[in-house]
Amino acid sequence: MLQVNALSCHRQGEWLFKELAFSVSGGELLEIRGDNGAGKTTLFKILAGLFDDYEGEVTWEIQDPPLYVGHRFGLNAQLSPVENLSFLVSLNQNAPARKDLEVALGRFNLADVLDQPCRSLSEGQRKRVALARLELTDSQIWLLDEAFSALDTKGRQVLTELCQRQVAQGGVVIFSSHQPVSDFDSARVLALGKSV
Amino acid sequence: MNPLIRECKILVRSPADTVQSVLFVVIVVMLFPLAISPDPTILAGIAAGLMWVVALLASLLAAERGIQADFADGALEQMVLGKTPLWLLCSIKAFAHWLSCGLPLLLITPLLGTMLALDGLEIFWMLASFALGLPILSLFCTLGAMLTVGLDRGSALLPLLIAPFLIPTLILGTQWVQSGGQSFYGYMLAALLSLSVVSLPLATGVAARIAVSR
Repeated sequence: MLQVNALSCHRQGEWLFKELAFSVSGGELLEIRGDNGAGKTTLFKILAGLFDDYEGEVTWEIQDPPLYVGHRFGLNAQLSPVENLSFLVSLNQNAPARKDLEVALGRFNLADVLDQPCRSLSEGQRKRVALARLELTDSQIWLLDEAFSALDTKGRQVLTELCQRQVAQGGVVIFSSHQPVSDFDSARVLALGKSV
Repeated sequence: MNPLIRECKILVRSPADTVQSVLFVVIVVMLFPLAISPDPTILAGIAAGLMWVVALLASLLAAERGIQADFADGALEQMVLGKTPLWLLCSIKAFAHWLSCGLPLLLITPLLGTMLALDGLEIFWMLASFALGLPILSLFCTLGAMLTVGLDRGSALLPLLIAPFLIPTLILGTQWVQSGGQSFYGYMLAALLSLSVVSLPLATGVAARIAVSR
């Protein structure tokens, strides 16, 4: 599904990574590891198609654009979780029904704050709103940058389950994390910063 | 949720932004008779130009509002990545700018015109020129905001970058009113509007792609 060849990228004159090559096929879980500043976020942006100042080739064989959850969640402070989620999902597919939104948010333990403006939510809550998209999306590829940080145990558990379901259905999950995620036993690891 | 409904909801929930545009315009227009002269003949002579200058400045002031928030919270990234055409989302952004700045301005034009001693017919032409011209300002301001969002001192760059492109609209709009509604100016303004509506959202979309890759 994804083929990366000789991918090199530099910022401010320093190589973030050089000649990176890997491929991912359906049903695979790829963990991207690396220290702060190793280029994890840049790699995610390149894979998502947000950043194109690189050398090498990135080839996707997919219909729908990948779903990318980054450091910024795309939640407007004035809108409620339900409204934000509905907007984000409907950018790629038909607008979801209110009931589905409630189920998705409820799964991430947000049933009490469904209609509160997002500015009153904590960082962890907003992260969970952004992750509730995973429940509703048709996208085959998930790009989850630091998705596991700032989550409570319950949240991590739900996210792990969703990722496992996605992989079981033949999708692809590419994620990064600071602390090792022991919840997956089948994840392949791509280490950044050592290949240079 | 429809992007248009999203913009409307955001506007309704932050009414201070719209109020700011209206207050700015009203205060500036109110100050002129005090500072220059309360003489109706002098005021009516400069009224069209003055109102157009104030409208231009109010548009520039409001330019960054929606764009800055979308950039900072990451919604812009998601819009660029999504399947919904970017030119459509950018048109909606420009429409939201018009809703929060252009439309209120249009609604208070009769009041402003009266304050500047315009007669009924002149107010009518003022309304006509605003109706055709303010959407052009909104489209350009949205493009400018998208080009400068995320840059250091982007707010300072924005007026420098975009003001030159607003000048034709300013001249045509003012001339239309001052010439008593000569159709040439109206046609030119309408042509400029049509051109802007079809081309600027595309350019804004390209600017959005560049903005999120910074």
